[in-house]
Amino acid sequence: MKGRKVVSTVIYHIFIAALGLVMVYPVLWMVSGSLKNNAEILSGSLSLIPPAWRWENFAQGWRGFGHVTFTTYFKNSILITTFATLGTVISSSLIAYALSRVKFAGRKLWFTIMIGTMLLPGQVVMIPQYLIYNRIHWVGTPLPLIVPHFFGAPFFIYMMMQFMTSIPRELDEAAIIDGCSKYSVFSRVIFPLLKPSLISTIIIQFYWKWDDYMGPMLYLGKPTSYTVSIAVKLFADATSKTDYGPMFAMSTLSMIPVFTIFLVFNRYLVDGISTSGLKG
Amino acid sequence: MKKKLLAVLATAAMVLGLVGCGQEAPASTESTETTTSVVESTETASTEETTEAEPVTLRMAWWGSQTRHDRTIAVIELYESLHPNVTIEYEPMDFDGYFNKLTTLVASNEVWDIFQLGSNFPTYQSKIYTLNDFIADGTIDVSGTTDAFLRIAADEDGNQVGLCSGVNTYGIAYNPAMFKEAGVAEPTENWTWEDYKQACLTIHEKLNVYGSSKFDDWQAGASMGVGQEGFDYSFFNNKNDGLGFDDPSMLTDYISMRKELVDAGAFPDPGACKEIADIEQDFVVSGEAAMTWVASNQYAALSEAAKANGIEELKLINPPRKKADGPAGITIQSSQMLCVSQDSKNPAEAAKFIEFFQSNVDANKILLAERGIPTFTAVRDALADELTDVEKTVYAYVDVVGSFDTGGKTVNPASPACTDAIKEQYNYYLEKAIYGECTAEEAAKAVYDFAKSQF
Amino acid sequence: MNKKKNDGSGRTGWNRFIYNNNTVGYVFLAPFVIGFLCFTIIPMISSLYYSCTDYNMIDKETWIGINNYINLFKDERFLNSIKVTLEYVFFSVPLKLAFALFIAFLLTRPSKAVSFYRSLYYLPSLIGGSVAVALVWKELFARKGLINVNLGKLGIDAVNWFGNMTTAKWPIILMTVWQFGSSMLIFAAGLKEIPSSYYEAAKIDGANGWQSFWKITMPCLSPIILFNLIMQLISSFMVFTQAFVITGGGPNDATMYYALYVYKQGINNRNMGYASAMSWVMLVIMSVITLIVFKTSNHWVFNESES
Repeated sequence: MKGRKVVSTVIYHIFIAALGLVMVYPVLWMVSGSLKNNAEILSGSLSLIPPAWRWENFAQGWRGFGHVTFTTYFKNSILITTFATLGTVISSSLIAYALSRVKFAGRKLWFTIMIGTMLLPGQVVMIPQYLIYNRIHWVGTPLPLIVPHFFGAPFFIYMMMQFMTSIPRELDEAAIIDGCSKYSVFSRVIFPLLKPSLISTIIIQFYWKWDDYMGPMLYLGKPTSYTVSIAVKLFADATSKTDYGPMFAMSTLSMIPVFTIFLVFNRYLVDGISTSGLKG
Repeated sequence: MKKKLLAVLATAAMVLGLVGCGQEAPASTESTETTTSVVESTETASTEETTEAEPVTLRMAWWGSQTRHDRTIAVIELYESLHPNVTIEYEPMDFDGYFNKLTTLVASNEVWDIFQLGSNFPTYQSKIYTLNDFIADGTIDVSGTTDAFLRIAADEDGNQVGLCSGVNTYGIAYNPAMFKEAGVAEPTENWTWEDYKQACLTIHEKLNVYGSSKFDDWQAGASMGVGQEGFDYSFFNNKNDGLGFDDPSMLTDYISMRKELVDAGAFPDPGACKEIADIEQDFVVSGEAAMTWVASNQYAALSEAAKANGIEELKLINPPRKKADGPAGITIQSSQMLCVSQDSKNPAEAAKFIEFFQSNVDANKILLAERGIPTFTAVRDALADELTDVEKTVYAYVDVVGSFDTGGKTVNPASPACTDAIKEQYNYYLEKAIYGECTAEEAAKAVYDFAKSQF
Repeated sequence: MNKKKNDGSGRTGWNRFIYNNNTVGYVFLAPFVIGFLCFTIIPMISSLYYSCTDYNMIDKETWIGINNYINLFKDERFLNSIKVTLEYVFFSVPLKLAFALFIAFLLTRPSKAVSFYRSLYYLPSLIGGSVAVALVWKELFARKGLINVNLGKLGIDAVNWFGNMTTAKWPIILMTVWQFGSSMLIFAAGLKEIPSSYYEAAKIDGANGWQSFWKITMPCLSPIILFNLIMQLISSFMVFTQAFVITGGGPNDATMYYALYVYKQGINNRNMGYASAMSWVMLVIMSVITLIVFKTSNHWVFNESES
């Protein structure tokens, strides 16, 4: 019995680790590309070891453009991303509570509208949206990139709604009997129980916002307010020459904050998952 | 104030590689001494400009790579130091982002005062503030360039839409060693598409590589292809309000030749073409092809990459002709130009900057012809000593193309706004023909009909 | 719901108003309503309006009624784009979801290494559609790329992945499946929600791992599965980046997905009216499919709070 368990554990680890390596290979290739020059990157070699370790790519990349270095871009990205993520988490949980737990008139309609807003591609709403922000003089500021997040993101609203379905209604009712109002049921019962979905929201939204390129490109005017996502693209010029080395170096660094967020919050998704009945 | 200027100039000098700068003092100073030191020139500039007009803010944007961003910003700072009343807010961008943003700015009437455009400028014609008046009243001094160079940044009615930042044209880069090995004669100025096809097939057969790598099919087969039929033909007519040919079969040859070469394995199929993400990845660089289509401003990068890959020599020749004694079909073009926008509140100031950017020797010693071959004689002369051998090849080639017989006609560099849509359709039908979903004749007819329906 | 109870604390009209379900609902919904009215509805209506115009984004638009819609159904490229998009959705959604669920489930083991493994699997989703990924993918599937070399070792002829109209979609589908990190994460969060007491009870009843997976894990996870399914459907219908960076729609339109075609028409060809019309046609198609999924979900989604 014990022997079988050891064997199955070993097989499990070998399988997971091997598959994981295959999955992560392209990422490693990019990281190693940050230490190669154009010829080495474009040679078609999928080798992970750089022929020569060209650390200068990092220095050249970090220098940025004009007098603006990546220090500035990282600061801007972190600022925008943090506020936007915060806004998404707070507003989406409120909205999800209304749509999932409160039986009010028009609930179905609003739910349909919410799903509907996700069905148009960005390219066709891009210009009308720009005109609105332009009219209220938000273009050139980070506001169009932050404020809308305080009005909920349909993806996360719906996700939280689905997580709420697994919270038994008896809990709400018990709380109400204990004297809670519908308002405090949210803050005392539902919100604390949403932890796993809030954490997923933070991790995913942080990355999406960090990676978003079109929004910052359209709305941020000055190079001093550029984000990392824009800056990384500034190394590429399809019409003349692309500096792949520095570009990969900065892309690699750009992954660090998002990956850190993942590592920090992922702990909460793993901790205490000792579901003892779960064995293969 | 002075301190800041000094700092700015110092950085400009650094980018310059510490070549002397600032000798071109503002208009009223008579003597332009080349020996003027950085500090002195700052003083003249600042004392001079304090008496000048109110502050002006200009917005400017362009696309490019790190080198271009750095150099362009340094020139902007040089200009600001010479004209303290002018502030230039700039936005460096990447190509896709640039045109996406330009599209939204056009829709909201907020296009940057100074903006960069390629040969697609007619699309934005209604947003461009033409420079004719500024040239007439002397705001822009064009005595340092030639009419021919001015014309490549003008439309069919002679409106000067911008000032060219660099001259460009197309050509074929080929690997002479491969030609030799396969026993094929090297191409000459008068080679034909038949020569090209035979070279491709022979090289493929003998060396088991592609005869030719990826082409810009629209340029080669349509835009240039029609022009090669005779001096009376061009894809769009000279007014750009209709087509310049009436026989769809003028498009057929290229399409059927492309299919034949792909079928024979002498030309990469559309999938293999997609593997080329960058000019430095071209099959000529990897030694898998003997020729490729190249824009003259990319030739240096191409041959550098080839050299790094152990290919000793590449040569540059004009694309094949339809008839050995017929028109070459190619002309010199403006790779990029700077334009003033209709939305600008200070078009005159923007125009002054553009003139400085294109014609000032110091500015161009910073820019180092990164955008292509300069059009102002003084700039060209000043940069001549610093050219590498490859760059000299490109200059010589562009001069050759510029001297090609155009049948006494002035070539209209502009193309109508619907060009992109027609080009898209051309590539679509070309692939359909290659995959055997229609014949070359049907493809040519469909492209012709579509193009005609756009007017 | 018995709302009399919470009214018990105060008998004033204000209290009755403020604790009324409608009030509570709209108070919590307020951010969405405001955001929708301020930032979302106008662009949506504008795009509907543009879809009935000829609009090149430079000159003023001209009203042409339903001409765009009529032309759409005559446009073989658009009809083809619907076909290839549906095909892509059909393959990529189930594959991605199954893979994400499989890995998320494997990584629920109480092991110190799980956290490390999960980062390993999440990392690919952090490089999005960057230039590096595009280059790697092209190299992997190139004619002499790693995949063909390995196929050769197995004695299988090399496949011209990007040149063949039937194979070109696979690199794109694989890339989609490869970036399964966020789906996996959401599944993981859902798995964590399942009370371990359920499994213990099942174990006492003598259920094996397989049985408890089907009787406990799947039903408890079904709302999350539904969510991931709907979201993947929507995002697959709008697939853009993968095709944009790898194939550009080729060869011969075999990967010219609908969102890519919208981009080509709308942004490249500046035919915004036509692109908007296309988007609205797709909105209708996607709504119908989403609705069907919602309707059938009543039969397979186990809803704890409603039961």
